[in-house]
Amino acid sequence: MKERIMQQSSLRSNYIIVWSEIVKNLKFLLAYPVVFIFWAIFPIFWFIPFILQGEAFVGGLQSQSFAEIAGTAEFIPFVILGAVLNSYVLTSLYGMGESIRREAYRGTLDYILSSPCNKAFILIGKALSESISSSIFAFTQLAICILFFGIALTIGVIIPVIFIVILLILGLYGMALILAALSLRYKQAHDLAHTMEYVFSVFSPVRYPLASLPLWAQILGKILPLTYALIAVRSIMLLNQNLSALYLEVLALLVIDGVAIFLGFYLFNWMEEKTKKSGTISNF
Amino acid sequence: MNLKDTSGKVHKLREVKCPTGFTWSNIKAELRAIWESNIKIWKLDLAYPISFVRQCISPFVFLLPFIIYGLAVIGGRHSENLERLVGTGDVVTFVFTGYMIIGFIGTAVWAMGFSIRREQWFGTLESLYVTPTSRLSLVLGMALHSTIHQSLGTAIEFAAIYLIFGLALQIQGILPALLIFALMMLALYGFGILVSALSLILKEGWIVAEGLHSIMMILSPVAYPLIVLPTIAQQASSVLPTAPALVGMRAFLIENYTPQVVGNIFLHLLALDVIWILFGIFIFYLTDIYIRKTGNLAKY
Repeated sequence: MKERIMQQSSLRSNYIIVWSEIVKNLKFLLAYPVVFIFWAIFPIFWFIPFILQGEAFVGGLQSQSFAEIAGTAEFIPFVILGAVLNSYVLTSLYGMGESIRREAYRGTLDYILSSPCNKAFILIGKALSESISSSIFAFTQLAICILFFGIALTIGVIIPVIFIVILLILGLYGMALILAALSLRYKQAHDLAHTMEYVFSVFSPVRYPLASLPLWAQILGKILPLTYALIAVRSIMLLNQNLSALYLEVLALLVIDGVAIFLGFYLFNWMEEKTKKSGTISNF
Repeated sequence: MNLKDTSGKVHKLREVKCPTGFTWSNIKAELRAIWESNIKIWKLDLAYPISFVRQCISPFVFLLPFIIYGLAVIGGRHSENLERLVGTGDVVTFVFTGYMIIGFIGTAVWAMGFSIRREQWFGTLESLYVTPTSRLSLVLGMALHSTIHQSLGTAIEFAAIYLIFGLALQIQGILPALLIFALMMLALYGFGILVSALSLILKEGWIVAEGLHSIMMILSPVAYPLIVLPTIAQQASSVLPTAPALVGMRAFLIENYTPQVVGNIFLHLLALDVIWILFGIFIFYLTDIYIRKTGNLAKY
């Protein structure tokens, strides 16, 4: 009986940790409305040059050469979907990846790490709050693109797209956990986050199909979760394919998610122990 | 003036004469301050070698998606539509000559704009403010460092693109293109001084900087000719130095390039230089007075 009560209380405490972390991060976000508006709107400005570039080079809104390698001649929806999904990469790397570093800046990291709770739930709370904010931003961008760029979104594709996005988020947060772990030990993980952003930007099919890259770069691109998520979402939204036809992409995402999350938690716990022992938690 | 210590010993304070006004000794002192400010930032930069290397290769990494995307949409290197618009169809050379100046917009918006804010982060802003050095020298020191740093990145970018894709540039056009570049940089410095003033007031001015950077990126014909922009955007681009500079530089660097813009690019840029520098300095001094009067200097 006593054991059951303790288990329930432990479960409730963990739930409170996750919930508090979500509320705290959302409060931070809403405390700066300009920052909120910035992330909801400005990523659109970053892909407008690609749309104008495509129009200038092709002389229209469709390209047959593009269709041969991408499966669709319409490069504008291709670029927009790439940019919207890529915003999850940016928020996970800079948001979640640096969340631990931010706690150090605020002077709250020592308290968090010395609290008698499972740190995994703090990280889950951080990941969930980042997912909520990223999804709000992505949804706003997509809504603007539907209004101004004529992206078609039918009810039937929403559920499979959300499913793929969840799989993408899991993989990205696994990677972000690895970054958070490294920032515990090596502090300035900012450069690593930038480097990972470069890798995603060049080797994932964010703006161009994977087939336009050399073979070695395609192989590198195939270990990134964003690659499979982009292929799947574009296949569903632009080529009207069913989720069942994309089982290989879904399987690849599941494998990457599993590996990244396992590695992320393992590394974080290991680094936490190391930093506690070495006494470098509060070092900058 | 003398000072007595606790043991009663009298110390004569050393009188330091600070040059002021528009004199040669003051100009020399300010130039020294600019140089020292530049050296200080280089020392900080080189203290983090991995970060330094990453920053040097970032112009190349950011350029790659534009080139690969360009090649993907036309299925090769030659765009007939681009040739019809500007006289040259070589998309790699066109994009490279446009993108190489983007990093310098970053110099104005980010490096100069945040030079003062950076000192605030380091906790050295108030100490610097009580020295008899001009605040502008701090900003210009950062500008000097950032220009050299960015030039290094652009050189790496050029070498990589030349080796991977090859570039068809007119060698004889390099000198006039460099002159246009210098004129553009002067106007960008004025713009950077303005942003640094804004960062003093707005504190978290990164949103303004990122916003300005994104808008400049769209209004500058980096990866497309100006003609594809709506008319109002084309008109707005003429108040920024990057649009006329890019058109002018391409006219000298790319064979058969025929810009649609009429008028003298040199005079256009000279006018923008005067306007942006005077406007930037004016706003900077107004902000400086305001921030000290309101006591907001040390606030975050």
